Amino acid sequence: MADTQVLQNILRDEQRLPRVPEPGVMVIFGASGDLTARKLVPALYDLAAQRRLPLEFAVVGISRTQMSHEEYRGKLRKALEEHRSGEVSGDVWESFAGGIFYLPGDSKKAETYEGLQELLKRLDRERGTQGNRAFYLASSPSLFPAIVENLGEAGLNEGDDGGWSRLVVEKPFGRDLGSARELNAELQRYFDETQIYRIDHYLGKETVQNILALRFANGIFEPVWNQHYVDHVQITVAEDLGVGTRGAFYEEAGALRDIVQNHVMQVLCLTAMEPPVAFDAESVREEKVKVLKAVRPIPEDEVEDYAVRGQYERGWVWGEEVPGYHEEENVDTESVTETYVALKVFVDNWRWARVPFYIRAGKRLPKKATEVAIQFHASPHTPFARDDTEGLAPNVLVVRVQPQEGLSLKIGAKVPGTGFEVSSVNMDLLYGTAFLEEAPDAYQRLLLDLMLGDPTLFIRADEAEGSWKILDTVMRHWAQKREVSFYQAGTWGPEEAEDLLERDGREWRRP
Amino acid sequence: MAEAVIGESRHAPGGGRMSVGQIERELGRLRTNDDGTLALRSSVLNLIVVTDEESAPEIADSVSKLAGRHPARALVFISDPEGESNVDIGLSAFCHARGGGGSQVCAEQVTIHAEGPPAMHLESLAGPLLIPDLPVYLWYPGEFSPSSPGFAAMADLADRIIVDSAASESHEACLREIAALVEDPEMPAIGDLQWVGLSPWRSLLADTFGAPERAGDLEKIGRSEVLYAPGGENRALLLVGWLASTLGWKPVSASRDGEGQKKIEFSGTSGDISVVLSPDSPDARLRRIRLYSEEYSFQVSRHRELSDVRTTVMRGDELLAERTVHLGAFDLGVLVGEELHYRGRDETYEGSLRAAVEILDL
Repeated sequence: MADTQVLQNILRDEQRLPRVPEPGVMVIFGASGDLTARKLVPALYDLAAQRRLPLEFAVVGISRTQMSHEEYRGKLRKALEEHRSGEVSGDVWESFAGGIFYLPGDSKKAETYEGLQELLKRLDRERGTQGNRAFYLASSPSLFPAIVENLGEAGLNEGDDGGWSRLVVEKPFGRDLGSARELNAELQRYFDETQIYRIDHYLGKETVQNILALRFANGIFEPVWNQHYVDHVQITVAEDLGVGTRGAFYEEAGALRDIVQNHVMQVLCLTAMEPPVAFDAESVREEKVKVLKAVRPIPEDEVEDYAVRGQYERGWVWGEEVPGYHEEENVDTESVTETYVALKVFVDNWRWARVPFYIRAGKRLPKKATEVAIQFHASPHTPFARDDTEGLAPNVLVVRVQPQEGLSLKIGAKVPGTGFEVSSVNMDLLYGTAFLEEAPDAYQRLLLDLMLGDPTLFIRADEAEGSWKILDTVMRHWAQKREVSFYQAGTWGPEEAEDLLERDGREWRRP
Repeated sequence: MAEAVIGESRHAPGGGRMSVGQIERELGRLRTNDDGTLALRSSVLNLIVVTDEESAPEIADSVSKLAGRHPARALVFISDPEGESNVDIGLSAFCHARGGGGSQVCAEQVTIHAEGPPAMHLESLAGPLLIPDLPVYLWYPGEFSPSSPGFAAMADLADRIIVDSAASESHEACLREIAALVEDPEMPAIGDLQWVGLSPWRSLLADTFGAPERAGDLEKIGRSEVLYAPGGENRALLLVGWLASTLGWKPVSASRDGEGQKKIEFSGTSGDISVVLSPDSPDARLRRIRLYSEEYSFQVSRHRELSDVRTTVMRGDELLAERTVHLGAFDLGVLVGEELHYRGRDETYEGSLRAAVEILDL
């Protein structure tokens, strides 16, 4: 085996050839669901067409609907045309589809897994998939424990004949700290943590990864990236859309669970973490966990001072009148589910002591924008007359994740003229103008990493639990109090959110 | 999906001989939008191109397309050392906005016609126009003469030289000249577009040995056939050179029959290997490569749709694995764009080139 491994690497052992995973099968639970159609299959097709998947690769879809392999292939082909822009090549599709199989079955029943085991062994024999399997849980989260248990009981938690077995879990990773711990315990009963890939597609975005590149590939930012120079940090994840058809889901989730616990906490970690010793899974995730551990717990009796909960009412967004949350489909008219969250958190460590991180995430805000703004202390003394510096604001470094990904640095500059008037100007770098190549879709990147066995951009159990822990008191308080502040759709959130910063003598940026 | 890039070419009127200061001022003016705002200049590299009058329109087109993916200051030299002494400069900018909105961003192109003695000293025109602190790529799309004094002076400015070993009529001589450049410690890293065009072929061939039970067959290859089109000789030679240098095959003898078929014998770690290079139809530079071990045959071949390629692994008549994927676009701009990703030496290429030249020396 060792000899063949060395030989196998000979033709690939160079930087200019892309890394291609070992042979294997991806088994998708929830095969007829939205995620499979919209994201997974287009990403896999593109990876296959771009020669990034191994020659011996297969996809097995499992769901309750009765379908033949051929019918399933037809369904995915249709979904591909619907959800993926660009032409689908007939021959490439036929070749890819030849490796797609479907298994109808109830994922709660043991016999489904007997059938699966049989099919996987057949694929190993006929398609050379080498006993390597990735199980993708794209089904309803309520089915996760049953699927994992059945996989474990069927012995599918280990690859066949020396192969590997990996488990991919989509968010939400639980509903709160308690259920996250339960879920992790369930997963870890049958799978080792190194086999578990918790996916947050945010981490697959190039622009999110760019936060790390900006911080750790440039010598000039890191020396000022601390409490000596930074006054405060604002993290914004704003959407202009409402809940749309996801009312029923949103009623259960709310902005805190849907966005803050995962995406926002990840952005917070990348912004606040110490430099990892290497860009590998353990080094990066260890540093992220340290940030989560350092976040000061919000006392339950002080939640009001640190957290704001908002819900949108009818208003105008981009020239269009839009309904309030209560008017949305499948939403309780008395609902107090938050569509907006503002938080103040402190990362109690040497680097960030006393620096507030203001976080806001919401729906039906004036525009879609995700950004991290590092506001630096004002210059300690200005030699210019006060009248001349009226237009001067402290330096702000903004890392824009979307849209118009890039960097913006607000600096003071002299206004042309005979006096010495100084004003702030923005220096912008749009990543898109320097690198126009199309960035791969986040799912493409993550699915490839999964097949390659690189978990760096996936969430570890203690990360998932750590972020729930930070929000635990807030969720408990909100569940008891059952009150929400309102904001008009098309505004930047409720007044209480403004107060949160005003009390500290600060104000939200306009992204 | 990325937003569409909408481009616009802007040209400065006039031309003739201009000073460096005038050129910089005019390029600044070209970036001024109709509404008086100034478009950004975005540059990640300097690209110097040396070409001739005949090829200039095609090259200029490729360079402007490259601006979309690799924003650069491009200096395009149209050189004619035979003419009367003359320098004529044209300026243009390729400006684009993503998705039709947002800030305009421009990449600049300076086209310099140099005739007579100035054509022998292009470095004196190129050097002052390079943007500081950015890497310099020197691209010879056509034939080039490494022994000319001008070549060494231009190479001195560059971090990487891009050539096309298929551009010369004598493909063997060209490959030898490039090999000599690679061995010259004074030269920057060299890239060959024929090698770039091989990347997907090499990757797909490597895939056929991805299954552990077949990886051992790399040592048991006894025979190989390569079909190539006229103009694809060097690509085929580099492919065989790659296999030879990677798998430790030593060339022993070579012969050619009346139909242009070349047979090369190698000695390998586990026996002899026979490789046949055969000319084929002219529609694709490489048509097919097939490797035979004792048990299997491994094949990568152009599909009936030339944009696709089919990979198969067979055991006798039994098809063990099969796949059709995109080969990708391989026009000039794409090949050069691929090379612009790299700055350092490509040791795999250099090893393959050496092996290819050893084959030619037989």
